[in-house]
Amino acid sequence: MSDSKLDLLQGTLDIMVLQTLSTMGPLHGYGIARRIEQVSGNEVLLNQGTIYASLVRLQQRGWIAAEWGTSDNNRKAKFYSITKRGRKQLHEDAAHWQRLSTVMSRVLSMTESEEV
Amino acid sequence: MNVHPFRRVLALFRGKQLDHELDEEISTHLSLAMEENLRRGMSPDEARRQALVQFGGPQQAKENHREARSLPVLDGVLRDLRFAARVLRKSPAFSIIAVLTLALGIGANSAIFSVVRGVLFRPLANQDEDRLLYLRQSAPGIGEDNVTFSVPEIQDLGGHLRSIKELGTLSSIDFTLTGLGEPREIRAGVVDGNYFQVMGLHPVLGRLLNPIDDGPNAAGAAVLTYRFWTNTLHSDRSVLGKVIRLGSQDGTRPATIVGVLQPAVPYPVETQIIANIVTSPHHLSATMVTGREHRMTEVFARIAPGATLEAARAELHATYDAMLSAHPDVYKPAEHFTITVSRIHDQINSKANAILWVLFAASALLFVIACSNVANLILARTVRREPEFALRSALGASASVLRRALLAESLLLCAAGTLAGIVIAAPMVSLLAQYASRFSARAVGLTLDSSVLWTGVALALAASVFLAFVPHLPSNEASRALGVSSGGSRVSGGSHRRLRIFAVTQITASFLLLAGAGALLRTLLALEKTQPPFETARVLAVNLPVMTDGRSEEQVLDFYRDVQARISGLPGVEHVSTGFTVPWRDSFGLDIGLTFSADGAARINGDEDPRAHFRSVSPGFFATLGMPILEGRDFNANDRDGNERVVIISQTLAKELFPGQNAVNREMRWTDPVTKFIGISNAPRRIIGVVPDLDDQNIIPRPFLTVYQPTTQEGWNGRLLVRAKSDPYALVPSIVGTIREMAADQPVERASTLEDVRAEILTPNRLNAVVFGGFAGLALLISVVGVAGVLAFSVSSRTREFGIRMALGAQPHNILTNVLLEGLAIAGIGVLSGVFLGFASARATGKYVADFQLPGVLPLVLSAAVILAAAVIASVLPAIRAATVDAVEALRSE
Repeated sequence: MSDSKLDLLQGTLDIMVLQTLSTMGPLHGYGIARRIEQVSGNEVLLNQGTIYASLVRLQQRGWIAAEWGTSDNNRKAKFYSITKRGRKQLHEDAAHWQRLSTVMSRVLSMTESEEV
Repeated sequence: MNVHPFRRVLALFRGKQLDHELDEEISTHLSLAMEENLRRGMSPDEARRQALVQFGGPQQAKENHREARSLPVLDGVLRDLRFAARVLRKSPAFSIIAVLTLALGIGANSAIFSVVRGVLFRPLANQDEDRLLYLRQSAPGIGEDNVTFSVPEIQDLGGHLRSIKELGTLSSIDFTLTGLGEPREIRAGVVDGNYFQVMGLHPVLGRLLNPIDDGPNAAGAAVLTYRFWTNTLHSDRSVLGKVIRLGSQDGTRPATIVGVLQPAVPYPVETQIIANIVTSPHHLSATMVTGREHRMTEVFARIAPGATLEAARAELHATYDAMLSAHPDVYKPAEHFTITVSRIHDQINSKANAILWVLFAASALLFVIACSNVANLILARTVRREPEFALRSALGASASVLRRALLAESLLLCAAGTLAGIVIAAPMVSLLAQYASRFSARAVGLTLDSSVLWTGVALALAASVFLAFVPHLPSNEASRALGVSSGGSRVSGGSHRRLRIFAVTQITASFLLLAGAGALLRTLLALEKTQPPFETARVLAVNLPVMTDGRSEEQVLDFYRDVQARISGLPGVEHVSTGFTVPWRDSFGLDIGLTFSADGAARINGDEDPRAHFRSVSPGFFATLGMPILEGRDFNANDRDGNERVVIISQTLAKELFPGQNAVNREMRWTDPVTKFIGISNAPRRIIGVVPDLDDQNIIPRPFLTVYQPTTQEGWNGRLLVRAKSDPYALVPSIVGTIREMAADQPVERASTLEDVRAEILTPNRLNAVVFGGFAGLALLISVVGVAGVLAFSVSSRTREFGIRMALGAQPHNILTNVLLEGLAIAGIGVLSGVFLGFASARATGKYVADFQLPGVLPLVLSAAVILAAAVIASVLPAIRAATVDAVEALRSE
C-alpha cells in the first residue's frame, strides 16, 4: 500500500500545515501530523518527523508563531498557530493550487478530437 | 525564498539550544503517538515500534530541521569542521606533530616569499621606474667592472641625445659634517641639478635639489636621506634650514639643509646627505671638470617620452663609440672600454636574483618535505581508519561526503599550521631580510607584510586539498572489510608504497639541504679559522677624518704627528701610527691600485706597466701591526715633503721586480694617469725597505703587491692605529679625551680592533651558514619524524607477521635488526637519490649562477652520515615496539 500513497513535496507540506492550523487553531507537532494524515484519508505518505522541518521553515518566514505549552499527557510541547501573514499566504497559495489543478485536469483529459 | 536570512544566521549560533528544544518536541510527539497506539489496542512494544515507524527516524528529522533552520551549506561545513576537530582531538600526538610540521613549512615559505617579493618584485619608489636607466662604464681589459664616468665623458655622451630626456649624475665623497650635533664623518652624494628629476623622487620635507642649485655660483644646499634623518637625527623637523659645514680634503663649505628625501633605495651607494656641486671644491676643480680620465661619477638617464629602451640603448652606444674613436690615446683598444645600459630595477636586483631564487628553491623543498611528512602521517592514520570509513560508506555516506570529512580535517590542520606558521614567519623575515640586504639594498628594513598572510593561506589551501586527496578511500569491495575487525592486516600494497615514497622524498630533500649547508659551513669555518696576520688582532683602529677647516696642509700633517706623539705617551699603548686606510674595513681606500715603473725591474705584466696597491702610512705603521722590516728601514721623521721621496714595498713585489737581487736603493716612479688627479707626482722614489706581504683586502691572504708611501710625502691621513699592551678597548676613552683636548671638533669614530673588523666582514658568510643551516636542520627534524612515522606504521601493520616469526623461534633482536635495516634502507635510497639529484641540478645551476661550486666530498659524506644516523634514531622506537610484540597477542589480534 505504501507505493500507492503520494510522496509529498516540500512546499505542499507547508501549505497543508498552514491549512491545518488555520482550521484547527493552535496545535502541537503531533497533532498537526495526525490531522493531516486523517484528513487526507491516509492517502498521504508522511514521515511524521518531517513536519518539524516544515514548522521551522514556516516560523522563519513569519507565517506561524510558536509557544510552549502542555500537551494532553502533561508533557512540554510547542504549540503552533497561524499568523495574519500566514493566513494571507495560505489564501494566495490555495488560490494558486486551485488554478493549477484546474489547468492540469483539463490538460490531462485532453482527447484527440479537441479543437485547437 | 529567504525572507528571513537573519533568523537563519541567528539559528547558527543558537544551535545547541534549538537542538535541545527539538529533542523535547520529538519526545513529546513520540509519547503522544505511543499513547494513541495503546488506545488502539496495541501492546506497549508494538505501540512504541509503530510510533517510531510512523515518525520515520528521529535522526533524519533532526537533520532536516537543522538544514531547514539555517544556511544549509554553511551548517554542513560547520558540522564537518566540528566533527573533524573532535577526531583530531582524539589523537593529540598526530595533530600536534602535523600542525608543527605544517607551521614550519608554511612559515618558512611565506617568509621567503615575502622577502623575494619585497626585493625582486616590489616597484621602486622612483616614479616611472621603467623609464629610469643606469649607465655603467667598464674596462674588462684592465679588470675593471665599473670605472664610472668623468665629466668630459658625460658631456660627450649627453650632448645631443634624442631618446634620452635628461642625464642625472651622482658621485660620492666623504665629508666631515659639523653643525648637526656631534661632528661626524658622513658619506655624501654630490649631484647635478637634474639628478632628482631624473630619478623621479619626491621630498617628504622641504624640497629637493633642482637646476637652480647647479653650477659654481649657486648657494650650498643639501638634502638629507630619509634613513639618516630618522635614525641619526630622530626625524627632527627643525633641521630644515639649518646651515651645516661640509669639510673635505680640499676645503670646507657651508650648505643649507633644504629638504629630506623620501624613503628610497640608495643606489649605487648609501649616503647620508645629497648635496650640490658647490659644496665640494674638488668637483669644481679643473681636474674634475677637464680630466677625461678622472672618473668618479655615476650616471642615470631618463628615457624621453615616446622613445623605447632599445632606441635609447642604440643611441647611447652609438654616441659612446663615437667618443671612443675621437680619443684613441685615452681609450686604448686593449682595455676594452664599454658601456652597458640597463633599467634601474634590473640593475639593483642583479646580484640578488640568483641568491633569492636559490633560497626560494630551498624553501620549496622544505614545503615539500613538510607536506609529504604530514601526508605520510595522514596516510598512516587513514589506513587504520579504514573500517570506520567502510562503515560510514555502508551507512549511506557517499565518497564525496567522506572526502569532505577528510577535507575538513586537513583544513583544520592546515589552518592551525598556517596560524602557527605566520607566527614563526615574523622573525624569519627579519633574519632573511638581513641576509638578503647584503645582496640588494631593497631588502634593508623589510618586514613582514600582508603578502605573507596571503601566501600562507594559499599554501594552506593547496596543502589541505592535497592532503585530503592523499588517502585512498575504501572502494566498494572494501565495505566488505567490515567483516575484518582490526585495521592492520588489509593494508594494500599501494598505500604502503606511497608511504615509502614519501619518506624517501623527504630524505632526499633533507640530504640536499644538509649538503648545501655543510658546504657553506665549511667555507665559513675556513674563513674564521684564518688567523689575522702578524698579531693584528689587538690593534685598535680609529677613524680620525681630516678636518681642513682653516688649516694648511702643513698644519694638518703636524696635527696627525702630534696625535701620534701624544697617544704613544698614554699608559697601555705600545705603538701608534696613522695612515689613510684601516685594513679590511675601508674598502674604498683599499681599492686604489696604480701603475708604476721601476728602473732595472723584470717585466711582470707583459708590455704594460705593473700595477700595485697604494698605501699611505706614517712611521711606526709596521711596528704597530707587528710586521718586521725585512730589508732596509722604516719611514722616519726625515722623510717629509721637500726631502728625498722614498717608498717601502712588499716582499712579493720585491721578488717579482728584482728576482734574486736586493730591491733596496732601487728607484720606481708612478706612471698611472690618475696620479695627477690625486696629487701624486711622477718623480722618482727610492725604495728604502721591504716588508712582508699584508693582504688587507681579503680574509684569506694572497700574495699582495704593495707600495707604501709616507703620509708626509704626498700622502693622506685620516686613520689611527694603536697597538695596546692589554685590552685595546680600554684605551678608547683616553684616546678620545686626548684628541679632543687637541681639537674640540675633531670626529673620533668607529674605534674597533682589527679582529672585530675582520669578524664583521664575515657576517654575510655567517648569515649564509645560519640560514641554510637552519633550513637543513628543520628539514632533518621533519624527515626524522617522517621516517619514524613510516616505520611505526609499517611495524604496526606487520604485527601479525612478527608474532608468527617469534612463535617460529625468531629472537627479538632479529626483529629489531629487521626494522632498523628497513629504516636504513629508506634513508640509503634517499641519500643516493639526493646525491644523484644534487649533481644533476648542480650542473644545471652552474650554468646560471656564476661562482657556483660543488660542495666538497666531506660535506656530502658528513650529511649522509647524519641522515643515516637520524634514520637509526627514528627507527629505534618502532623497532623496540616490534621486538617486544607478544607473539600470542599478535596472532590473536587479527
